[in-house]
Amino acid sequence: MPDGSFAHPQQRSFNPYTDNGGTILAIAGADFTVIAGDTRQSEGYSIQTRYAPKVFRLTDRAVLAVNGFAADGNMFVKKVKQRLEWYRHAHAKDMPLRAIARLIQTMLYAQRFFPYYVYNILGGIEEDGSYEREACRAAGAAQSLVQPFLDNQIYFKNQTAAPGQSHPSHLPLPDVLAIVIDSFTSATERHIEVGDGLEIYVVVAKGRSPQGLDTMRGVQEMSARPDGDRMFVIRRDLKKD
Amino acid sequence: MATASRNKAQDSISQTKFGTNNFLSERGIPLPKATSTGTTIVGCLFKDGIILGADTRATEGPIVADKNCEKIHYITDNIRCCGAGTAADTEFTTALISSNMELHALSTGRKPRVVTAMTMLKQMLFRYQGHIGAALVLGGVDSTGPQLFTIHPHGSTDKLPYVTMGSGSLAAMAVFEAKWRPNMERAEALDLVCAAVSAGIFNDLGSGSNVDACVITASHTETLRNFVKPNERVQKERSYQFRRGTTAIKKEEIRSLVVEEDITHIIGTGTGRGAAEGEAMDTS
Amino acid sequence: MFLTRSEYDRGVNTFSPEGRLFQVEYAIEAIKLGSTTIGVRTPEGVVLGVEKRVQSPLLEASSIEKIMEIDHHLGCAMSGLTADARTMIDHARVTAQNHAFTYDERIKVESVTQAVCDLALRFGESVHDEDALMSRPFGVALLIAGVDEQGPQLFHTDPSGTFVRYDAKAIGSGSEAAQSELQDKWHKQMTLQEAQILTLRVLKQVMEEKLDHHNVQLAQVTPDKGFEIINEVRLKEIIDLM
Repeated sequence: MPDGSFAHPQQRSFNPYTDNGGTILAIAGADFTVIAGDTRQSEGYSIQTRYAPKVFRLTDRAVLAVNGFAADGNMFVKKVKQRLEWYRHAHAKDMPLRAIARLIQTMLYAQRFFPYYVYNILGGIEEDGSYEREACRAAGAAQSLVQPFLDNQIYFKNQTAAPGQSHPSHLPLPDVLAIVIDSFTSATERHIEVGDGLEIYVVVAKGRSPQGLDTMRGVQEMSARPDGDRMFVIRRDLKKD
Repeated sequence: MATASRNKAQDSISQTKFGTNNFLSERGIPLPKATSTGTTIVGCLFKDGIILGADTRATEGPIVADKNCEKIHYITDNIRCCGAGTAADTEFTTALISSNMELHALSTGRKPRVVTAMTMLKQMLFRYQGHIGAALVLGGVDSTGPQLFTIHPHGSTDKLPYVTMGSGSLAAMAVFEAKWRPNMERAEALDLVCAAVSAGIFNDLGSGSNVDACVITASHTETLRNFVKPNERVQKERSYQFRRGTTAIKKEEIRSLVVEEDITHIIGTGTGRGAAEGEAMDTS
Repeated sequence: MFLTRSEYDRGVNTFSPEGRLFQVEYAIEAIKLGSTTIGVRTPEGVVLGVEKRVQSPLLEASSIEKIMEIDHHLGCAMSGLTADARTMIDHARVTAQNHAFTYDERIKVESVTQAVCDLALRFGESVHDEDALMSRPFGVALLIAGVDEQGPQLFHTDPSGTFVRYDAKAIGSGSEAAQSELQDKWHKQMTLQEAQILTLRVLKQVMEEKLDHHNVQLAQVTPDKGFEIINEVRLKEIIDLM
């Protein structure tokens, strides 16, 4: 009886999480990886900011994209970066990509019963020049829009090859970038939480040609050394409605 | 007694629609989601009449269902109504009232008034106790001059010189509060309406795409469909044309759809009894 | 030194006016009482060798354990108070496993050595609320051998928590003679077998007893097979080769 008496047990609940929208995606090529995310941060029907990066450079050759609850995401990236620095001090080298992958796994599992509400995609180049556990992955608000598109365009799912021909196992960088950009322009059109800006990180393996990337519109090189793996970021506008 | 029997009816799944819905949702089958026009709609008074404005985005949850829908509905020649809320509810409610207004005009022989439409709308919405999810901005010019109302889903109404509704109403109202003045010129007022709707389009995720407007004066109603298009589709980087033969054919089977039928003519070969019966039949 | 005992001998973490920590210095002295232990690095791997002092004919030589595995790619030989080494090796093993669990990679030889040395300094009187520390310094020195991305490496640690990398190193009672012999005989392009023979020859020189497969132990860490203690049969063969 809702009379303020204590006759009946009442349940209260507190939800510490919010969903801040946005989408991230990553695609691996033969000698490069592309990691991208939009820059809109929203809550409900409101835009909190039109520029909140979701993709972060961790080392010369590792990039992490985080999506979900922005506060957790930012704190998680901060903690990963801190662990990376401690590792550098303790072991006098940058953490290798697969060590970062395992570190993230252990850090997330440590919070098994009060999880970071974050979906993570780690991309980069491994020590021995290999690059992938997965060729493409989308996560976040528009995952259900983008992943089927990627499956079709990257893995050629539901596409029959022309007679006597076969689908390539890896696409060249310009094709991958075009697919990434189109994924986001399309997600922006059909998902209200995606838009405003796009940041695409590209890591090119040591000694490989940047395939015209260095002359692309809106590109900025972030490499620590020109002789090692090279890192670029491409910034584009997305629709703002 | 009456209350008890009604409750009993609800427990049974077959008795009422209400009971069926509860029964299904308890079994994990939720009601189908309504297409909602999480919207920015506005209206304002100016020197010569009323200007209504609306965005053109329709959503289903976070997905854009229609990038260029129409939210300014026709009521009569001199009255229009913007709808926010459940798309089906705003469309059918305005269509129904439009129809009734036409009948009303016919039977009275007068040009219909905005208050009439407003009263019909609020009475209908009140009757449905908010279950019809329509939030409306009604505007027009009649014999009493320019009129502008908002009607809430439960049936309450407001009469104001500038109004906004929908999820983008706060963004749009901020613009009106900052810039609206009495007796504005047509061009000035149209700019203001565009600015108000644009505020919704860019700052409210439920609103987007284009600005529709409608200028109603005593002598004329001007519909300005897609008056501003600030969110044109971006050119794609690649073409997504597929080669002929991309879709695999797993199995091919050709069936004849021509039905063959053998007809035996009885009339010519019969005893005459059948023919006589046939003639006796009255098929007029 | 033992004649000039002073009040600075009492506290394990009190400097003398000359800037010395006597207890640490004594701990280093304790190592010189231990049996001789040798480590030799080559491009093919690292060899560890120890003398097992069999004081009684009734003693089971195989029960003397002076070379231990830390991880697949890490081994360790000791000299001094070998019981103290258990604590250190336990710590090294946990550190190595934690690293593998967290980072999915093998810990570097230097990193595990650093971890052991961090532990070596945690002695002293505990302050009221603090966790109880160790009461005295470790009385043992370690030779940590391992292979990582920087190739085969050999580290020496002592009770002061200092660690240094060596190409070849001897510790324990015969260390002075052994070290100068290593200095003479070690060269850059040694094979693993040459290193095994060198280790045994140097041990033989400093041992009082006649060297045989019962009173020495040999181990190696190679990139392919990791840490392994050389079994008696193989050890005998190498002794015959000397």
